[in-house]
Amino acid sequence: MADRFCMVVSEGSFDKAMMPLIMGNTAASMGMEVHVFYTFFGLKLLKKGIRPKLPGMWRLFTGMMVKKMMKLNVPNYEEMLKQAKELGVNFYACSTSMSLLGVKQSDLIEGTKVLGASKFLDLAADSKVTLFIG
Amino acid sequence: MEKDATLDARGLMCPMPIVQLAKKVKELKSGQVLELLADDVGARDDVPAWCNRTGHAMVGQEEEGKLFRFYIRVK
Repeated sequence: MADRFCMVVSEGSFDKAMMPLIMGNTAASMGMEVHVFYTFFGLKLLKKGIRPKLPGMWRLFTGMMVKKMMKLNVPNYEEMLKQAKELGVNFYACSTSMSLLGVKQSDLIEGTKVLGASKFLDLAADSKVTLFIG
Repeated sequence: MEKDATLDARGLMCPMPIVQLAKKVKELKSGQVLELLADDVGARDDVPAWCNRTGHAMVGQEEEGKLFRFYIRVK
């Protein structure tokens, strides 16, 4: 069995959007099986066409950071997501958070699977690496 | 060192050199040697770690100023 890597993302800001994708895409490139579970405010990161903003007052500087990243050749959020899909990273939306925040399956990017906590914990219990991003 | 292909990852930041390396290796045959060029400092330890994890052999590693040059034999 391939090494498994599980992450839980509970915040929807720019930094919390990028980190799991950088980690996940790297892990997948290292031959690991990657599972990312989006819950609470993290859920909005899976919505179609989302452009995540920096947290709090820093949100005003999001554009500056995006430009800086472009300059440094760091792929943007959309490109990272596309790359993650190509690498076979698995994305899950927390079913309870979806009801709580009024998010429908049709709002989510293609390939997202709606999951309950038990199924994710079942995956995480056999995981070599688990991280909480929140 | 003799090589069958070169991947120029200069100007790319972590994790792009690794992501592209993983893609490139899939195009090559077992036993072929890939030269990888990178200038992200993270690559110095990332590439050997990637080799260690994936089972491809690191057969050479050089540093020339800010440039890192790796030779990887595909498993």
